[in-house]
Amino acid sequence: MATPQHSGWIGKRVKRLEDPRLLTGRGTFMDDVTLPNLHHAAILRSPHAHARIARVDASEALRLPGIRGVLLPDDVARMSRPFGVGTTVPVKYYPTAVGKVRFVGEPVAVVVAKSRYLAEDAAELIRVEYEPLPVVTDPERATEPGAPLLHEEIGSNVANHRLLQYGDIERAFREADRIVRTGRLVFPKYSSTPMEGYGVIASFDAASALLTVWSNFHGPFVMHPLVARSLKLPENKLRFICPTDNGGSFGLKTSIFPYLALIGLAAMKIGVPVKWIEDRQEHLLASSSGTDRVSYLEGAFTKEGVLLGVRMKIYDNVGGYIRSPEPACLYRPAGNYVGPYAFRHLEMDCHAVHTNKSLTGPNRGYGCQQLYFGLERLMDLGARELGIDPAELRRKNLIPTEAMPYTTPTGGIYDSGDYPQALEKALALANYPALREEQRRARAAGRLFGIGVVCCVDPSVSNMGYVTVGIDPEVRKRSDYQAKSGAAETAVVRVDPMGNVTAVISTVPHGQGHETTTAQIVATELGLDPEDVTVVADFDSFTHIWSVATGTYSSRFSSITASAFAMAARQVRDKLCAVVGHHLGVLPEDLVVAGGRIFVGGDPDRGVPLKQAAGMAHWNPLALPKGMEPGLQAMYTFHFPTAQPPDEQDRVDSSNTYGFIAEVVAVEVDPETGKVEIKAYVTVHDAGTIINPMIVEGQIYGGALHGIGGALYEELAYGEDGQFLARTFMDYLVPGATEAPRLVIDHVVSPSPFTTLGSKGLGESSAMTAPAALANAVADALGVHVDTLPLKPERVWRWVRQARGTR
Amino acid sequence: MTLDGTYEFPAPRAKVWAALLDPAVLGRTLPGCDKLEAIGPGEYRAIVKVGVAAVKGTFEGKVKLADLEPPTRYRMSLEGSGGPGFVRGEASLELADVPGGTRVSYRADVQVGGLIAGVGQRMLGGVARMMLEQFFTRIATEIGAAA
Repeated sequence: MATPQHSGWIGKRVKRLEDPRLLTGRGTFMDDVTLPNLHHAAILRSPHAHARIARVDASEALRLPGIRGVLLPDDVARMSRPFGVGTTVPVKYYPTAVGKVRFVGEPVAVVVAKSRYLAEDAAELIRVEYEPLPVVTDPERATEPGAPLLHEEIGSNVANHRLLQYGDIERAFREADRIVRTGRLVFPKYSSTPMEGYGVIASFDAASALLTVWSNFHGPFVMHPLVARSLKLPENKLRFICPTDNGGSFGLKTSIFPYLALIGLAAMKIGVPVKWIEDRQEHLLASSSGTDRVSYLEGAFTKEGVLLGVRMKIYDNVGGYIRSPEPACLYRPAGNYVGPYAFRHLEMDCHAVHTNKSLTGPNRGYGCQQLYFGLERLMDLGARELGIDPAELRRKNLIPTEAMPYTTPTGGIYDSGDYPQALEKALALANYPALREEQRRARAAGRLFGIGVVCCVDPSVSNMGYVTVGIDPEVRKRSDYQAKSGAAETAVVRVDPMGNVTAVISTVPHGQGHETTTAQIVATELGLDPEDVTVVADFDSFTHIWSVATGTYSSRFSSITASAFAMAARQVRDKLCAVVGHHLGVLPEDLVVAGGRIFVGGDPDRGVPLKQAAGMAHWNPLALPKGMEPGLQAMYTFHFPTAQPPDEQDRVDSSNTYGFIAEVVAVEVDPETGKVEIKAYVTVHDAGTIINPMIVEGQIYGGALHGIGGALYEELAYGEDGQFLARTFMDYLVPGATEAPRLVIDHVVSPSPFTTLGSKGLGESSAMTAPAALANAVADALGVHVDTLPLKPERVWRWVRQARGTR
Repeated sequence: MTLDGTYEFPAPRAKVWAALLDPAVLGRTLPGCDKLEAIGPGEYRAIVKVGVAAVKGTFEGKVKLADLEPPTRYRMSLEGSGGPGFVRGEASLELADVPGGTRVSYRADVQVGGLIAGVGQRMLGGVARMMLEQFFTRIATEIGAAA
């Protein structure tokens, strides 16, 4: 490989080190993991959306040969405690239904048998008597008087409510020339359908009261104490292990934790190691999904198009039980509620509501696609009502570059960014004036051609404290309240006695290429090639260094983990220089580490190979400088000083770095079929320094396709009776390669002053913009208000008819 | 899901009525019925095998007849559950004389849940209508054979 430049491997299109094993089928996924005497679980699930459990009888199932035991709701209630959650309502959420079922697919019992086949057969023989109850699936309706009540202990279906006020909202609306209203907006419930679903093995060692759980969980590891408490285990008696490879998650596998407890309980009760591999139907039915949202927005505009303030009323549908980290969909974007716009007055009336649907949680873009669908529809409605071009309206409202770092009215600290330049670049790449001209021609010919413009702030590295915005400040003030904040990540870099470098990551990547980017960073700092660095990507809570924030979520790697590894590798480099300087009798700062050698700058012959320097540190500790620890390794925990808990006014820097996305999308709608065809898709990102452009492009493609799925195709649909209607890929339509548009991708680079390399996260990327972009484009094509997604042909066709009737 | 329709039998009303309420006839004519036994007056226990698309399985349930006005009308409620989910429903049947025989008009509100609803939703109406058609045709055959 070529000699690295002074910036080393940062910014290089290094091929992924993971790919040779993955492309040759040699990865290690959950179903590849096995244990002696392993037994298999099948989960019996509720066919009812809401019902009282009158009786559970497993006697017939237990008589089948090969069945080792069952775990029933009474066992779960006896052996465990309800999971903790970041709200103050007394919700009793266990890994199975207890007393009542509250959504179709909710686990009711587990059968453990010698094979999955036997377990499935036995599960069918468990007799459960249900007494059906009335059902509610719409989150706004669920808050109305007389709606069926899910949790009697709470007395209402509202799981969390906060009225957040920033600035002087009354004044903004008083001074406005025009109030623009979105009316009721509906953002759908959709998911990510990773290739590999959930997988768990639990093994209980009764002699030492130790539960070991293998799974494809990936953090945040705050779920470890959550599961330990639920199982009544000390945290050091619960061991989490994750294999090297994870077949995708996009956030969904954060929500595997109830199954870690469920299979753990089965292993503890029945006394054999138990494996459960989720099948596709189970995944669509009851794993986790993005949060569906009903929202109402009002914008206070001047007649020139300057946005002064926004009011939002939000009903998030968290399904049958609010499950941690919900109600985070409401608060994850707290610091960037205003998006990329300069308005200073905001009111957020936030509700998380229980309904008879499956449970929700992080799904690529978490909280942001929901937020920007509302905000960007509001901007387009404003543009239309004021007669201003949508791109021009955004220009007028973007935070200016010279304002960076910019503190938002909600407490976010936008570290860097050149939003106007990124928007201009997107408009230029799309050739916006020509697109508008094409639209004029198309309209004249009776064709439906539309253009969508969106801008958004892309937050990365969640501050663990943001979730507590959901808790009343009065509660947060109490002396016994444990304030929460932070976003630490630890890097470990070791050099062995032969000079080989190992980097241990605790992020549990699920497809983001962390082995490659870690190797690029460490190799850059130590003057090596990425291939020279072995990256350990599996995880063991007993041996890895981790804390509650550890994991891969909120696009945190390129921002925080990259910083931690650059710092750890620099510490190793400094120690190498100290060892060699001592040996050669020169000052450490006069030494250069490059090409596998440590030598005097300007005199390359005067030096030693890395192998020899590492040998000194390991083999001859007494020859080291006085007081130096033997060995050659470094551990660095990176943390942002800006990651504070929310203040009394509910202001919080909810993420630690903030990127930017500007997109221009053009569509044509077939008036006969309602089909939406994407004609152009331009996406420009400002994510600071880019470590590996090839991985970044992959993330942008994936993110956009995720967002396009939510915008056009995917919906975890329910009937009004609460029955789930999308249990297979026949009914849950996932876009494939043939639906993927060609993206025009470009970047503006505004390095972050808060990270070691200037890099920020970008993994969620266009998943948060595509739904808004396509909604705006279709609204522009049809001349109607697009208030509901997905833009399925039937819905679009009705809008076409509506538009023709009114035009 | 609401199902309604009519079926005409070339047989007198009393005969059709008798057949529709005879557990032995029902056991032979209900599509997929493995077993049907009376457990009380107007109340039956049934085991029925049903397949919708890729979903096949056994339902076990109860059928209860009410508001019997022989030989004109009755109501029927049913509930069953099994591996593929559950079925619950209320139906009303009305018999009327028509030239050459008897017309049975039916109207049913059926709720289906679980796997069978999640996978077979789009086929359910068609499958239900097909099963009803089979049922009535078989009853007609039974009546014909008995005549």
